[in-house]
Amino acid sequence: MEKKIYKITKKDLYDLFVRLSSQYRVFVPYAKGDRLHFARFDPEKEESIELGGIRQSQPIKSFINPSREKISDASRKDTRPLILAGVKGCDLASLTLQDFVFLKGDVEDPLYAGNRNNTVIIGNDCTHAKETCFCVAMEGAPYPQKHFDINLSPINDYFVVEVASAKGERLIESFKMFFKGYTATDLNMRQANREKVTREVRYFIDKRGTQNTAQIKGAVKRNYNLTALWQDFASTCVECGACNLVCPTCHCFLLFDDKMPDGNKRFRVWDACLYNTFARVAGGANPRKHLYERLRNRFEKKFDFFPQVLDYFACTGCGRCIEACPGDIDLREVLKGLVLGKWNKPPND
Amino acid sequence: MINPYAYTEAEILKIVDETQNIKTFTVKPRSEIGFRAGQFMDLTMPGIGEAPFTPSSNHNTGERLDFTIMRAGRVTKLLHDAKPGDVVGVRGPYGLGYPLGDFKSREVFIVGGGVGLAPLRALLYALFNEVNDYKKIILKYGARTSKDIVYKNEVDSWRQKAAHVDIEVGVDVGDETWKGNVGLVTTLLKPGLVDVNNAVAIVCGPPIMMKFVTFKLLDIGFKPNTIYLSMEKNMSCGVGKCGHCRVGPYYACKDGPVFTYDKIKDLQNIWD
Repeated sequence: MEKKIYKITKKDLYDLFVRLSSQYRVFVPYAKGDRLHFARFDPEKEESIELGGIRQSQPIKSFINPSREKISDASRKDTRPLILAGVKGCDLASLTLQDFVFLKGDVEDPLYAGNRNNTVIIGNDCTHAKETCFCVAMEGAPYPQKHFDINLSPINDYFVVEVASAKGERLIESFKMFFKGYTATDLNMRQANREKVTREVRYFIDKRGTQNTAQIKGAVKRNYNLTALWQDFASTCVECGACNLVCPTCHCFLLFDDKMPDGNKRFRVWDACLYNTFARVAGGANPRKHLYERLRNRFEKKFDFFPQVLDYFACTGCGRCIEACPGDIDLREVLKGLVLGKWNKPPND
Repeated sequence: MINPYAYTEAEILKIVDETQNIKTFTVKPRSEIGFRAGQFMDLTMPGIGEAPFTPSSNHNTGERLDFTIMRAGRVTKLLHDAKPGDVVGVRGPYGLGYPLGDFKSREVFIVGGGVGLAPLRALLYALFNEVNDYKKIILKYGARTSKDIVYKNEVDSWRQKAAHVDIEVGVDVGDETWKGNVGLVTTLLKPGLVDVNNAVAIVCGPPIMMKFVTFKLLDIGFKPNTIYLSMEKNMSCGVGKCGHCRVGPYYACKDGPVFTYDKIKDLQNIWD
């Protein structure tokens, strides 16, 4: 569809969120220290809303494919549609994979499909980059390119609003009074910001020598048996699974049964391939007995399996796994090691 | 909308003790669940958990399903404590099953080990349904000892199905009562038993047995694309979404669990 563009002031946007809060569950990003996190829109806390900055701590899957979801019955306390505002380009890029896993194939996952259809995604340009950002190396950009209904590009005290879906269009039509016409200057300023942040991301990529998808292609398969590399990087891994859980493209889950006062329930719960039990079978066989094999599996899945089955590198460069890892394992360094064939030995080796 | 993770309740009708740690459960789901030999289903102990099993019954027995299950983990331990009349959950079937159409007019050479005979029993029944469509049906089955042989009382009836059905059972470790072959199942695989140019081999058993049987079959002259292997992976969701059973570019639950050897031979750690 032809993209419609408007602008809206920050004040009008927050008023709109107030209005929408009766029909929707509205989640927006709040600043806490130097991090952002999604929480329910609260008009009392408008001053700490940050529609800009960088990606939030929670990956978007937390909303579309929650960490623990009851599957044995569909009853939920609040079934109002969700508005998720402030989603950055790296998270939106992950929906290509999540949609492929949960909506395609022989059967659709009805829980995911329900959440996806019930969510209005409001994207948001980044206004700066952080050292762990490398979206541009992963064919992404620090501004939304796809999978959003509406996008907000911050400029001073207003936003350039881009409408990208019928769902977004309908929402705006209902509240037309908040949306104003835009000027060529607005678009130029949006473009200037996008270029500025892209340069910042590139600066961090170049500074560290982070590899891009063209360079990474085939590297996992080629170095599959480079056991020393996998062991070195796994040497500080404590098998916590944090990298899996914060990753916007990690989709693996387990089915968990529980006896509840109101009957037996089944839950779909995030799982992590770093866990020893992930691939183990009841008979005791485990195709990935060693931790380094499980670490390798994570890279194989992201940089070999998904490129094969979906022509997609399953990393969006959000950098969350780098921040989350208590063992300081840096995905960018692993990829560098794979491509260049050299890496730093672990400190205690 | 159909929830692929939800199960149908099924009543346990009958439990047969096969060996000290293997039982065959006959269950009747509340609504009929069909399957093709080689496909698997998830059995649930309600409120506890579920595990994947391949039905061992004839696919045309309609409302009843057999599952032959070794006590190995949390769910199977509880299943072994279950009694007729208890209710379990069933969902499926998943996976592709054996391509019986491709086996027609050929010699079907089946090699089983231990409880791995379970899916092969469903296959044998399916073959027996149209027994004259296959040139030969051969089963070579190995168990650890004579006490570990499953379906003991049925094997003779299988031999009676047709003149071109040949069943041989061996044990790894003999005893005074055992008159048959003693030695690993690979010792039953001798050249000349089949015309490898017009045969398919179907193997199911513990990973180590599958590995050495596959190598022996290759030695005998089977081509990799005629050897069908049941890959035991940690299948959970059954529909290619949960990620547990990945083998290289495949998910065992939807692309298998039966794979021809040519598809997986270059992948890593397939026998682990």
